[in-house]
Amino acid sequence: MADETLLRQTIAHLKRRGAAYAEARTVCRLHESLAVENGQVKNVSLATDAGVGVRVLVGGSWGFACTPQRTQAAWRRAADEALAIARASAPLNRRAVALTPLAPQRGTYTTPCAVDPFSVPLAKKLDYLFWASQVLREGPHVTRTSALLDFYRTEKHLLTSEGTDVRQTIIESAAMIEVVAQSGEEVQRRSYPNSHHGAYAQGGYEYVKSLDLVGGAAQIRQEVVQLLRAKEPRPGPTTIILDSSQLALQIHESCGHPVELDRVQGTELSYAGGSFLTTDKRGRFRYGSPLVTIVADSTVPGGCGTFGFDDEGVPAARHEIVTRGIFTGYLSSRESAAKAGLRESSGAMRAESWSVPPLVRMTNVNLEPGDATLDELIHETKRGYLLSTNKSWSIDDQRLNFQFSTEIGWEIAGGRLGRVVKNPIYTGITPRFWGGCTGIAHRSFWKLWGIPNCGKGEPTQSMHVGHGTAPARFAHVLVGRKRR
Amino acid sequence: MTARTVASPPLLIGQARIFQMLDAVTKRAPADAVSWYLTGGSQRVTRFAYETIHQDLHQEDAAIYCTAVLGGRLGVAIANRLEPSVLRATLRSAVEIARVAPKQQHFHGFPKTAAPYRLNGFVPATAAYAAVERVERIQQLFRTARARKAELAGSLMTGTREMAVVNSLGLRRHHASTVAGVKCIAMARGLSGFGSAAHTDIRLLDDAAALERALEKCTGWGAPRTLRLGAYPVLLEPEAIAEIAGWLTFIAFGAKSFQEHSSCLAGRIGDRVLSPSMTIVDDGLDPRGLALPFDCEGTTKTRVPLIERGIARGIVYDRRYGTLYGRASTGHATSPTETEGPVPFHLFVAPGTTPREALLRRLDRGILVTRFHYINGYLNPREALMTGLTRDGTFWVEDGRIKAPLRNLRFTQSIVEAFSHVRGVSAETRLVADPAQEFGATVAPSLLLDRFTFTGVSTQ
Repeated sequence: MADETLLRQTIAHLKRRGAAYAEARTVCRLHESLAVENGQVKNVSLATDAGVGVRVLVGGSWGFACTPQRTQAAWRRAADEALAIARASAPLNRRAVALTPLAPQRGTYTTPCAVDPFSVPLAKKLDYLFWASQVLREGPHVTRTSALLDFYRTEKHLLTSEGTDVRQTIIESAAMIEVVAQSGEEVQRRSYPNSHHGAYAQGGYEYVKSLDLVGGAAQIRQEVVQLLRAKEPRPGPTTIILDSSQLALQIHESCGHPVELDRVQGTELSYAGGSFLTTDKRGRFRYGSPLVTIVADSTVPGGCGTFGFDDEGVPAARHEIVTRGIFTGYLSSRESAAKAGLRESSGAMRAESWSVPPLVRMTNVNLEPGDATLDELIHETKRGYLLSTNKSWSIDDQRLNFQFSTEIGWEIAGGRLGRVVKNPIYTGITPRFWGGCTGIAHRSFWKLWGIPNCGKGEPTQSMHVGHGTAPARFAHVLVGRKRR
Repeated sequence: MTARTVASPPLLIGQARIFQMLDAVTKRAPADAVSWYLTGGSQRVTRFAYETIHQDLHQEDAAIYCTAVLGGRLGVAIANRLEPSVLRATLRSAVEIARVAPKQQHFHGFPKTAAPYRLNGFVPATAAYAAVERVERIQQLFRTARARKAELAGSLMTGTREMAVVNSLGLRRHHASTVAGVKCIAMARGLSGFGSAAHTDIRLLDDAAALERALEKCTGWGAPRTLRLGAYPVLLEPEAIAEIAGWLTFIAFGAKSFQEHSSCLAGRIGDRVLSPSMTIVDDGLDPRGLALPFDCEGTTKTRVPLIERGIARGIVYDRRYGTLYGRASTGHATSPTETEGPVPFHLFVAPGTTPREALLRRLDRGILVTRFHYINGYLNPREALMTGLTRDGTFWVEDGRIKAPLRNLRFTQSIVEAFSHVRGVSAETRLVADPAQEFGATVAPSLLLDRFTFTGVSTQ
């Protein structure tokens, strides 16, 4: 039986069995992964993951169940399981779940894509990785090189008891190279275009070609050797300029997570924590300097948080989170918005796969560009550091006290970039840090970065989200660490 | 239909069916060799906060990895349904990839045999735990918290897991297990406390003790103080030790970090790297942890001493890294697509002989830490430099007695340095695991350390 027929039968069955609200969502994801390590193939794989998730509201309580099977019996069993779970919880729950209204949505969304990455021959993709890998390995002191490509095609179909019927096909492409070098006891690494899992975007093979891994390899091969001989920054408060990739993670941790409304309402306390941006602060709390405007935008082309509809069927939209420094909005779902007295969901309900219910997640949480050039930001800085490419990240459970380190930094003295510094660490308190923002580069410096491993929920859902940023400058930031 | 009758999780796929289906497709494989790795199961995860169950899910899934070999070339394909047509298509994909992939220099072949083991981690009572019983259990937790004037958040999970390896050389392995876990965050007057428990048997899951530990940390205290930053003696409880140990698995104890020389053990095997009070082993067969008897290649897990009385003794290997280093696999291979290499997931930090309360009495002026949050160990792995924050119970201790709660603190500390100055190790250990999130577990004692450097405080 076709999935669409099964979906319709499942919704009809759930309505007959008394669900006040029901949704059924099929997801089929293809993931192709290629990894070359030290010039050798480490992994070439193709994964298929498909199934259906059923979420119901009965007696004011949620139930969710799922199955990877494609039979009517299995879907019926998942539907009944979801109903039973919701009915079991209902006597405990004192307050019934309410949802903000949503007119039935119908439509489709497909990632614009010039070259379908799954149509490109494997040999061609591997050649690209081997070429970049070869350039990386030509450097001295190298102990490991890695080159990675990842491609995803995700097909989703959501049907709800309210009449929503939306289909989406999302294509993502990603690439990364990394080199590790050693000299004596010193070990350093450099990544390109971004660290950890690399650069991600919605788009086709044209995206990974545009990243120019080979050119990047030559650059980071030189930088990693410079790092082996570099000194650490002088500890103390100073001015820092963050490049756009590091700023993406800064926004992610210190703005994206604390504006998740479900988190504010306490539903992540058993895992990720709460948020300092409580509902009484909305519209009045100074989050940053007047230069800082941050938006959640699921419509921006190429973002890993871009879609036609979220996983409740709410259409993609752009919402301000921070407006000229004032905290103004949340990422929300229909339930969390209703609970907070908001008129509508911001459309941020997303599930990692068919096997988990959606949670409030980041879409593309972007810092609006400013009006400076990067050279101007540097030139206006008497003393400080330019920091690039995330190395470590940590923030407290209310999203206030953070610490980041980057792979590389450059000293700034008298408005000029100077020597390379290794192991740069900086730390701060979220609203004080953003309050010290004294300049943001303009739109031509603005880049959209994808983060593929945003963790939240139990069981953990690892979400692909986006952050658009241009380099920005921050005053009075504590850099480095004092050694005994 | 009542919730009690519907809520039993589906039966396991079962060894016989898995072997039969994988054998059938393997026999006709157009490849030199084929290996299958299956991991799957079902879990119920119920999350609650403020007198409400806000998420309750039943999840079932599987991942079936097929590795095909053609002339030394490897291809991997993954599916999530154990059906003949899906398995055949998966094998075809793996073979197609192998046809075009370059030859792998360090391919080590699949194992023909593996050492036997004795382990029974499957408890039917956990597998059959019903929705109504689960809700009743959570209601009791809420009642207890309410009686102590505390709010409560947390999660309760039960799960069944199956793991199998079948290869064309005749190796056939299967293991089924269950797991149950509870986490409690109790909150009162601006303070919070944490307690957790995990067990293979839901009947032995001590959620009451977990809640009591959480309540002790947040009730009966005044407002939290802010501490002057600097280095202090600390008593780290098992949950805090487990967080640190979890990071050491990735940055210190695996072969990849060892090979690239970023591990703090690289070049130091046989040297004293930590205090003589510190012994850390990995043992996937010890039922005191959440045991898992073999790895994704089918190799039986061996007990690996990593640190023995402060001396660096070894790291863990899979077949690939074992070949590179001239060692046998220790049974720590991760999935065929994982690029992080072998890592240990069943750490045991050896206990001492001093009761935990006696360790606390030895703390003249220092800090008691219940757990850490958001540790990151990538700052400088060579010295195991980590940062993170305290969470859900941080206290100032004077003259061996807890004096006052503290605001959450950030530490930035070399763990090699901190674990080189151990003043005491508790006789009691606790299993620390978050089974809804990840495989593996750590069994750890409390540690009394001479100094731990705090570099920040959580405040607006």
